[in-house]
Amino acid sequence: MTLKNKPVIALTGATGFLGSHLMAGMITKGYNIIVFGRPANNESLKERIFRLLKWLGVDSMSDQVTCIDTDLSQDNLGISTAEYARLCSAVDSVIHCASDTCFSESKREKVMAANINNLEGILEFSKNSHVNFFHYISTAYVAGTGVTYCKETLSSVKTFTNVYEESKAAAENIISRFCDKNDIPLSILRPSIVYGDSQTGRSLKFNALYFPVRSAQTIRDIYLNDIKNNGGLKAAKNGIFIDKEGYLFLPLKIYLPYEGDINIIPVDYFVNATIKIIENCSINGIYHLTNPYRTTMKIVAKYFEQLMKVRGVEIIYGPMPDDLVRNPAEELFDRFIEPYRPYLSDNRVFDRTNTPLITDNLNPPEFTYDIFKTCMEFGIKVNWGASIFE
Amino acid sequence: MILYEALAENKISVTEKCVEIADSCDLCGKCDYQCYFVNEMRPTKVMEALKNHVKNFINNGGEIKPTKDDAILTEIRKIVGNEWATNDDGITVTYSHDLSAISEPKMPDYVVMPNTKEEIASLVKLFKHHNIPYTMRGNGQNLLGFAVHEGAIMDLNRMKTIEFDEKNWIVKVGPGVAAFDLQKQAQKRGYRINAAEPAALVCANIMCSGIMSTFSTTYGINADNFVDAEFVNHEGSFFNLNDISSPNLYSYKNLEHKNSPGICVSADIRLHPVSEDERGILVPFETLNNALDFIKDCSVRHIGLALGIVGVEYISTFLSPTKKLASDIKNIFTEKLNIPWLVVVIGDKFAIRSIGEMGFPYFDERLFKALYLGLPSLKNAQWLELVKEFSDDEPYSYLKIKSFAEIFETALAPSAKSYSQEVDKELSPFFEKLFSRPEMTDILWLNTYRIMSTRLGRKKPFLPALLYLPIDKKLINEFCDKFRLIAEKYHIDNDFGFITPIDNGKRCIFEYDFFYDYNDPEEIQRIRQVGMEANMLIDEYSVKTGVVKGHPYVLYQGFCRKENLLYS
Repeated sequence: MTLKNKPVIALTGATGFLGSHLMAGMITKGYNIIVFGRPANNESLKERIFRLLKWLGVDSMSDQVTCIDTDLSQDNLGISTAEYARLCSAVDSVIHCASDTCFSESKREKVMAANINNLEGILEFSKNSHVNFFHYISTAYVAGTGVTYCKETLSSVKTFTNVYEESKAAAENIISRFCDKNDIPLSILRPSIVYGDSQTGRSLKFNALYFPVRSAQTIRDIYLNDIKNNGGLKAAKNGIFIDKEGYLFLPLKIYLPYEGDINIIPVDYFVNATIKIIENCSINGIYHLTNPYRTTMKIVAKYFEQLMKVRGVEIIYGPMPDDLVRNPAEELFDRFIEPYRPYLSDNRVFDRTNTPLITDNLNPPEFTYDIFKTCMEFGIKVNWGASIFE
Repeated sequence: MILYEALAENKISVTEKCVEIADSCDLCGKCDYQCYFVNEMRPTKVMEALKNHVKNFINNGGEIKPTKDDAILTEIRKIVGNEWATNDDGITVTYSHDLSAISEPKMPDYVVMPNTKEEIASLVKLFKHHNIPYTMRGNGQNLLGFAVHEGAIMDLNRMKTIEFDEKNWIVKVGPGVAAFDLQKQAQKRGYRINAAEPAALVCANIMCSGIMSTFSTTYGINADNFVDAEFVNHEGSFFNLNDISSPNLYSYKNLEHKNSPGICVSADIRLHPVSEDERGILVPFETLNNALDFIKDCSVRHIGLALGIVGVEYISTFLSPTKKLASDIKNIFTEKLNIPWLVVVIGDKFAIRSIGEMGFPYFDERLFKALYLGLPSLKNAQWLELVKEFSDDEPYSYLKIKSFAEIFETALAPSAKSYSQEVDKELSPFFEKLFSRPEMTDILWLNTYRIMSTRLGRKKPFLPALLYLPIDKKLINEFCDKFRLIAEKYHIDNDFGFITPIDNGKRCIFEYDFFYDYNDPEEIQRIRQVGMEANMLIDEYSVKTGVVKGHPYVLYQGFCRKENLLYS
């Protein structure tokens, strides 16, 4: 298929984790992308995008990407009327991937502004552009709490784990109503927790799945340093030592409320499945990009111990006893993973009726030790993102 | 340093006193300790150069300049004794500067060190008779050039009497008593005084513009700090502040150029009670506005004895053993720990508990000690990235983890030894010993003795813009922005200094600092412009708002009632 045959897609959130990988995947497939975004940290949007394309190894195709400085919170996306009109006639479809993924209640206003208030501008643009399709990147967790089987339908649940889930569920409903009213074909894609590339380990962000691993690694390194360089008194006080086989014994009891899974998909699956959905989706289709293979924190803990040469990590399902005395490492770990805890032992089952049909039965890989190792070693190599562009 | 500079640049010849000074120094290196702590300088190296200069001068047959015969000097010496007055250039040149490079050096004709108020009175009469201008000098700590003048300099450093009157909660101090020495004596007896920087002389400080510190939150400013004071007026007569016939120094006039009311020869300083459970904490904030809300709230509710907002320049400069590390740490505070602002709070256990109940996470003394002595490790700490991300959702929530201090200590391995490795190698043993002392990492002690502000000018000396104004976020932010713009116009480094609430949160003291290179004459010209424009800005707001008072106007009015200063 030649470039001319591919639709021109306006993409928001291209500087984020999912958006950047999706942008790279789509230009590789020959799409022309118009990125709607903003400059940041003294870098123009064009510079930011080029840096990402280079990092993703597709900078040779940068001529397929056009950057437009936009502000989704402003009328006409904050661009001139003439430019707006020109873009309206150029764009064939829209992928709205921009999102504030913060979970904190204290950031409610900011999250709601980004995920709900900013919809108006991009939806109006889609209407004015008479787009063929509006694709919304949502989350599987719009399912909310108290649900065990999550269907590929709009959510009517009122209770959520955090403001992020709540905002995304509300956004789905707003978008759906708008598209319905204005005859805009809509598809909603709902990924679960996304980690790096299952083949290369490459990832732009290191939160979600990575956070418990990074937290445990940080704690490990603190005590290893104490033992190796400072006499190890603090480590010994907490029963931490290096055993005969050179493993660090780190008593880390991780309490999770009940037995459940952590639903994770690699970003390469997300990209491939999303492109297939975009190319084949039906009107008002909702697609769960989730993993049918079970992964539990017990498995992740086992992988962690193997990779990090640690022993003593224990996953315990059930409520934490009120009078339980936690060691400093456990207390720190508890606090570190708190926002992610509801996702670490999840007993929700995600309906996958629509997705396999439209993606030629494309499935995410099972989360094996090799994938874990590849992804975590990449994270360590780039210092969990701190030196990712160096 | 001034003496060596004057000799090296042939501003003065080698005199008898120069030889005496050179001979008196055995290069023991002790003066390096304090100097290095404050600004990383090594005066011993200068003394070595001075000794070599004098030695070479003599070896090369140089003629030592004898002390000039002088009839007035003879009369001065009749009053104070031969050894306490001189016109030797080797001495007088060292009084030609103060801490400010902005003021022009002025070479005095005489340096006199009186020992009693009667001697001061006689000297005043003598100088008046011969029409000789005179200036009083303490430790030369003034940043604005007020302690240099031609004529005679009266150095008050011999007058160090400290007499406690505990029944009346006062201590009478002579004009040569330094804040540190007085605080030490007060602390021994279980009291506290409101004091300026450790080397500042107490009476001079009141005379100049009044005592202020973070403790001014509860102890007040200006006339709040003393009960009475004795003066020698310009005729050489005595008067007490509380005499009915004495000049009304409690009044305040918003005028820039005022005359000194006389020479303060003693002051009865107020003593404050101290409770055993007092301690210090540092409360971090993401924005200045949040910090302003916090200090205002605490002040209105009478929570805390001492409160002060400090910027990251202030705190990183103080905590770091070297200028280089200070710069790295400043970035870590802002970029990794997301702590651009900190509020220093001194309070009893009830005050500290209240702050916890208000929901503010804070660095307690254990964490502060770990942070301070663990600073070299913090520079390379990989785990800061995680802490940063962890704090995105709820700033500083890690401080709420019960055993965070334990982990923090494990991670940083704080010790006086590792901290001292950062300084010049030969000074490491001294600094290790110094930082092993508990008070050096005790927020309460460091604030009581005003040690925390002593390193502020270590990178460059600074010209402070000081003003009194309401704790009004819009107004304070406007001042910050405008001070910054003035400084940027002249390419001058600048930063927020501190803000301390006073009078139950009705007003605050605000300092903004402009840093300059004293070895760069061109930069000194530019800082003078900055000073002038900053004062004009304060004047403009003073007229516009009616509630802003510029600190320069308080000069020689340090005895005024704060109500007259703030609200009239």
